[in-house]
Amino acid sequence: MLKRDHQVVLPTQARAPGFRVELKGTTFRLVATGAWTVAEATQLDSALKRLRVPIPPTPDFTGEMDIAGIAEIDTAGAWLLQRTASAWQASGLRTHYAGATESFRILIEEVQSRGNAKRPVLEKQNPLLQFADDMTRALTGVWQDVVQLTAFLGEVTAGFVRMIRQPWRFRVTSFVHHLDHAGLRAVPIIALICFLIGAVVMQQGVVQLRPFGAEPFAVNMVAILALREVGILLTAIMVAGRSGSAFTAEIGSMKMREEIDAMRTLGIDPIDTLVLPRVLALVVALPLLTFLGDIMGLAGGGVMAFGVLGLDFASYMDKLHEAVDFQHFMAGMIKAPFAAIIIGLVGCLEGLKVEGSAESLGKHVTSAVVKAIFLVIILDAIFAMFLSGIGV
Amino acid sequence: MIFESGREVVIRVRGLAKSFGSNRIWTSLDLDVFRGEILAIVGGSGQGKSVLMRVITGLEKPDAGDVGLFGHNAKTLSPQDRLTIEKRWGILFQDGALFSSLTVLQNIQVPMREHLKLPQAMMDDLAFLKLTMVGLPPDAAYKFPSELSGGMRKRAGLARALALDPEIVFLDEPTAGLDPIGASDFDHLIRKLQQTLGLTVYMVTHDLDTIFTVADRVAVLADKKIVRTGSPSELQHHPNHPWIKEYFCGERARAASPGQRPRIPA
Repeated sequence: MLKRDHQVVLPTQARAPGFRVELKGTTFRLVATGAWTVAEATQLDSALKRLRVPIPPTPDFTGEMDIAGIAEIDTAGAWLLQRTASAWQASGLRTHYAGATESFRILIEEVQSRGNAKRPVLEKQNPLLQFADDMTRALTGVWQDVVQLTAFLGEVTAGFVRMIRQPWRFRVTSFVHHLDHAGLRAVPIIALICFLIGAVVMQQGVVQLRPFGAEPFAVNMVAILALREVGILLTAIMVAGRSGSAFTAEIGSMKMREEIDAMRTLGIDPIDTLVLPRVLALVVALPLLTFLGDIMGLAGGGVMAFGVLGLDFASYMDKLHEAVDFQHFMAGMIKAPFAAIIIGLVGCLEGLKVEGSAESLGKHVTSAVVKAIFLVIILDAIFAMFLSGIGV
Repeated sequence: MIFESGREVVIRVRGLAKSFGSNRIWTSLDLDVFRGEILAIVGGSGQGKSVLMRVITGLEKPDAGDVGLFGHNAKTLSPQDRLTIEKRWGILFQDGALFSSLTVLQNIQVPMREHLKLPQAMMDDLAFLKLTMVGLPPDAAYKFPSELSGGMRKRAGLARALALDPEIVFLDEPTAGLDPIGASDFDHLIRKLQQTLGLTVYMVTHDLDTIFTVADRVAVLADKKIVRTGSPSELQHHPNHPWIKEYFCGERARAASPGQRPRIPA
């Protein structure tokens, strides 16, 4: 802010801004005093808005902005003065400033010339049209997603075939790194969750089947559920949340910093270096994690069976052998590599779609997780239909 | 208020020391910033130019020493007083540091919204005013930072720094990454804003052209302290220090020096 040069101002004087309007001869004078700064702008703004624009009775009346009493001024204050002055000017008063120091004058002139700049008009859309527009965009978006994902699957498959032909191009370090991050480090959480869900399902099964005297069959239910559905679904959802989002964030931030573009110009294919190791790591890790999830689900069921049914370990194992066979186990396991491909592809594709801003990164990470989980469940439903069709 | 040889000292730094790990960047650093001047901080890389700005603005804590802000010691300020002082300065970070989820206009309004209760129409008008003052076209107002070029982002960042009409602006490498025309425009802009708004400008820069055209005073960081301050021509004609000699009398400096290029009048 600008202070009046070489003038001692008492603090109270400087703080209290104000103005009065008077008629002196044929001149309407607005006498401004105090600090016209942004801190006081609200108060001044409402007071100035209440002020009525003087209407000159004859054309030879003039206006004057007397700012000799102003101790401090900044752009907000200058803008308020300028707004008043141009309103007076518009009503037919020729208005000028009086009592401005050199520095005040520069500021006021600057505000005057800048204030006249034309502003762009924001186009307002009809809300109904907007709604229709959004709907169309959302629907075409779904179709575009399908096309993009299919195209990406093709690209990655081509990359995979290239890699088979030239195995030395495979990034072993990267593959092992992602195997560690997506696989090994997910072991504790997946083990715990599957164990708990197995136990909960067993307890609920026993409670619900007891009125029919069929509580021993709860073991069959838990065994089949755990092997066919719960193991793979829970694991896939956890991995989509843990690793799918991580893939998007990693690749997305590389995209933001133009690292992907740099790779392309150096003749490095991001599919080979970034996507394939991640997808393949998931394809290896997810079946292993699913196996772990299956076992932990059964273990959770076993502990709860001991608790509520009093089944000891040996008889629980006997019952398991009666209830399930290898087919049930395979019906769950067969889905794991497919789910891994979906999670890996969606995660990497969303990462590559990230644009400049951090907001875009957040949006794509969210959509990667949502899409991956959604597609995994669709996959599960398709497999359920298919498997029941072939009688497994 | 502190005065020295008739000029008000707005920032006074005394005995500042800072180290990162085993790397001591300053041992005892003294600096005064006077009201209304354009001060350029120069120094080789790793001398802590940006860190000094961060220490003064309170983003980083020094290991020892005092920072005086408008006559108050930064160490003894209550959070309330600190906020009042923070409202009196604006900072332009290297890449503008605009909030990416807000439009340029909203970015400029953030400080107003945070610290003052102004009617929306007035905030819009003031933000437009600041926008045009820093030389952005009006249609940049509704764009997001990611849609702007580097130079425009810097200008928008400056507009945000100026939103509350600060007394001091800190500029971190204001002309880095701009083309010569854009950089020269920015020099003019800094001088003009300094004149119109009565600003004190503290700028960290490498740009010899900027130093010779707009800086009133240069402070040189070397040997873990400020080795010298003085006007650009003073430093050029009497370097007295190997680094200053190399910097101000090197090939690039000769090409940029006032003999070759007119100074923007103060």
